[in-house]
Amino acid sequence: MNKLAKGIIKFKWLIIIIVVGLTTFLGYQIKDLKIDSDIVSSLPDDDPAALLYKNIGKEFGGNDMGMIIIETDDVFKKEVIEYVKQITDTLRVSDGISTVTSLTNVLDIKGSDWGIEIGTLLDEYDLPDTQGELDSLKERVMSKDMYKGTLVSEDGTSTLILFTLLDEADKQAVARDIKEKITKLDIPAKLYFGGLPFMMNDIADLIVADIIRLIPITFFLITFILFLAFRSTRGVIMPMLTAALSVIWVLGAIVLFGYELSMISNITPIILLAVGSAYTIHVINRINVTFDEDRKKALIKALTYITVPVILAALTTIIGFVSFVFGAYLEIIRDFGVFTALGVIFALLLSIFFVPAVISALSMYKSAKRMERNGKNKHSFLNDIILSPLNNLLHNHPKYILSFWGIIMLVSIGGIFSIQREVNMAEYFKKGNPTRVTEDIMQEKFGGSQPVFVVFNGDVQSPDVLQMMIKTENYMKEFSAIDGTQSVADLVEEMNDVMGEGKKIPDDRAKIENLWFLLDGQDIMPQLVSYELDKAIIQSKFASTDSKVLNDFVVYMDDFVTENSTEECRIEVTGMPSVYSQLDKSLIDSQMSSLVIAIFMVLLIVGVILRSPMKGVFAAIPIIATITILFGFMGVTGIPLDIATVLVASVALGIGIDYSIHIITHFSHVHKKTKDLGKAMEETIMISGKAIVVNVLSVAAGFLVLVFSEMVPLQNFGILVAMSMIGSGLGALTLLPVILILYYRRQEKIINHKLIIKKAVL
Amino acid sequence: MKKLKIHTIMSAFIILAGLFSANAQDANTILKKMDDVMYSPKDMTGKTKIVLIDKTGKEKTREANIIQKGNDKRIFRFTAPSSQAGIAVLSLPNDVMYLYMPAFGKERRISSSVKSQNFAGTDFSYDDMESKPYSEKYTPKLVKTEDDVYVLELKPMSPKSAYSKLIVKVHKTNYYPVTMEYYDKGNKKTKDAIYKFKKIGKYWNAEEIEMTNLKKKHKTKMIMSDVKYDQGLSDEEFTVRKLKQ
Repeated sequence: MNKLAKGIIKFKWLIIIIVVGLTTFLGYQIKDLKIDSDIVSSLPDDDPAALLYKNIGKEFGGNDMGMIIIETDDVFKKEVIEYVKQITDTLRVSDGISTVTSLTNVLDIKGSDWGIEIGTLLDEYDLPDTQGELDSLKERVMSKDMYKGTLVSEDGTSTLILFTLLDEADKQAVARDIKEKITKLDIPAKLYFGGLPFMMNDIADLIVADIIRLIPITFFLITFILFLAFRSTRGVIMPMLTAALSVIWVLGAIVLFGYELSMISNITPIILLAVGSAYTIHVINRINVTFDEDRKKALIKALTYITVPVILAALTTIIGFVSFVFGAYLEIIRDFGVFTALGVIFALLLSIFFVPAVISALSMYKSAKRMERNGKNKHSFLNDIILSPLNNLLHNHPKYILSFWGIIMLVSIGGIFSIQREVNMAEYFKKGNPTRVTEDIMQEKFGGSQPVFVVFNGDVQSPDVLQMMIKTENYMKEFSAIDGTQSVADLVEEMNDVMGEGKKIPDDRAKIENLWFLLDGQDIMPQLVSYELDKAIIQSKFASTDSKVLNDFVVYMDDFVTENSTEECRIEVTGMPSVYSQLDKSLIDSQMSSLVIAIFMVLLIVGVILRSPMKGVFAAIPIIATITILFGFMGVTGIPLDIATVLVASVALGIGIDYSIHIITHFSHVHKKTKDLGKAMEETIMISGKAIVVNVLSVAAGFLVLVFSEMVPLQNFGILVAMSMIGSGLGALTLLPVILILYYRRQEKIINHKLIIKKAVL
Repeated sequence: MKKLKIHTIMSAFIILAGLFSANAQDANTILKKMDDVMYSPKDMTGKTKIVLIDKTGKEKTREANIIQKGNDKRIFRFTAPSSQAGIAVLSLPNDVMYLYMPAFGKERRISSSVKSQNFAGTDFSYDDMESKPYSEKYTPKLVKTEDDVYVLELKPMSPKSAYSKLIVKVHKTNYYPVTMEYYDKGNKKTKDAIYKFKKIGKYWNAEEIEMTNLKKKHKTKMIMSDVKYDQGLSDEEFTVRKLKQ
């Protein structure tokens, strides 16, 4: 370590040049930083339901379905129909749009005395304008499942204009363009934009808004706390500089490795600002308290001492983040874990190499005077009001403290059982957010917006397959959250009906083929049937976001598939319920695996470092207690486990364990030297305790900034991590010392007892 | 002097006006000549092969026999694939169409209220398939002349057309269309057609038309063969009774 420290001082200018160069290079990359808000593409390919969902979406264009809702008092008015046409026409000629379906152009199959009419529901060049025409339109729409509840809400107050995007289209750009164009039409009715393209666009906007707003707030807040704590420019500038540099490096690295910023990884900068500054604080602190006539020597001495502890602190944090790589369902979570860990490594490297190099290069050593003043600076608010009384409390009432933690733990364990889970994306938006409002309306009036697909692999023109599709549709409609279904089988039935043979699938394949002739080339066909006619889908929407209902539906459909899927007609079910159900299951798996990995790794590392498994366990106790409280808190307050809050426990573990390590190392160090329990604990609390309080405050404040995030999971994430930081800080300052005190008292007793026995024997 | 001036100006005007009308005349004449080339046979019989090609290059083939009289009576009778064999479409004047479905043994009059709909899964809309002279549906403008083609811009007369305009390249000496580009209401090119003509007897025959839907990246090739002209088909051939045979 000594050699390393000397090397750092020797090559200080080289280090500074490298850092400046890397920062320029990586900082320049950030201009290409893209935001990925495509949730569907983050679904894992190794989950069959998710993979099928992705593929079906691609093949039939259903995933990228957007919708515009017109809400008025009555859809069946001349002017409203006119608005529908305006929007339909605008969409039709917009770039990136594949198909548009609305009242004014939807396929309609009519039978009449003289024949069949396959056309559109309305003649777009001769829209209904008399009351009679409007009434008969209403009657027709409300009598057909194809329209009622699908294109027009059952109460007749809202109508949908659906569109699908071209495969190669830039979804966000198209959504933005459409929104702009439609808004420009200035239609005097309430319009809502829904569906994944708009949702993605919204998420992207929120991510950008979060970054622009939250990063500066976090930066200034932490700077302020550091300034209060250290009252030195260097003590503020250097930590914030390394944190900021690590943020720049990570963002640059994300671009360099071809990744994009997601709705999870957008909090990486905030985490790094809060966590990354800590290592530099340790390094600078050490430099501040290391005295030597030769300033250079002092610096080397300080570095030699601090490098290992700082690496350890970073290592545990890195483990916390890397633990997400295993068992995470969504790719965005895995990427978040990897890149945040990378950021922590950057912060660590900068604090060990760059900070001493700068201090040495700019001769920013502390003046001897300042040192003296610092040394005398024993009285402070923190020392007198908090740390001293705390030290007394620990010695006088250790058992009270222990019981206090015991009670909290019991309450928390009770709370754990009522933890909820939330996987529905719409719930991630704040109430009042346009996306959420649209989702609510979709739910209320159009049976939700979450697609459900049932895929039939087989000869699509065979009567058996089509009849099975009808059977499936009927079965689906019996489930409460399914309103309507749509498939090519419905169209064939309808055509058969107008041929005068009843509303059913013909038994004769040739008849189906004949009917197909008229359906061929209709806009809707590619959304229902594959080009090779070996796959057909039932499209439906799911009206509930309740996890239990989602899971019930998955089981309900599984039963049907098991019973009816055959070699000739293989049935598969996918859609958001299936994906959410998997996501829901994976939340617990992911939580368990990341937590177990993190706890195990941390125990191992701490045990090895402290050269005592017992101390490893001691160090882990406060953080395990904190995590228990965290889950209890989630249960009691109703903050659900979701894709962001599932990360809290491991992050808290990785960061929070550092406090325990500091306390235990410091305590052991002094206790070994003095054999004085009271003195060892006092020094530990007064010196390390102070550092911990400052660190808890700055990290917690950094995370609390997320309360201002536009996304609910991130808000909760911020609250929970802040709470965990305070919890693990308190644990390290109260629970751990009490355990140490009680443990060593007992040890002393045993030794005394042995001494007494020895004396007695003598 | 004054008189002379006025005279000069007036003649200049007349010449200019003449130039303009000559231009307009030209566009109309060119289009008329194109119509003549395309629609002058009294009747026609032949076979057509329709090849549908999707964006990945997968092909589907259909075959049909065609008989046509004038430019408003036509029967399309599908012969392949077997799933469509026997299906026949009879087109009569005034957008009257009948469809015969052999599996049902029934014919039904069909109406496609929107002519922009595609005909039987091809990239041709009912509108494109209609053999109504272009000069009756569009107002032409000569945009420019290139090496061996006139470039005409055709604006639809009916507001109901799916197109905002067509850009047609007409062969200078033979007056058949070489290419047609279709623009949607947003003035974006949505389809284009490439024609290959061959002289059969005294008529030019569109031996192959390749229509590409640029949005869907889907292509349809219509290839004619065994074409015979002016065999004296009677109106009797174009009745519902005949359709069912």
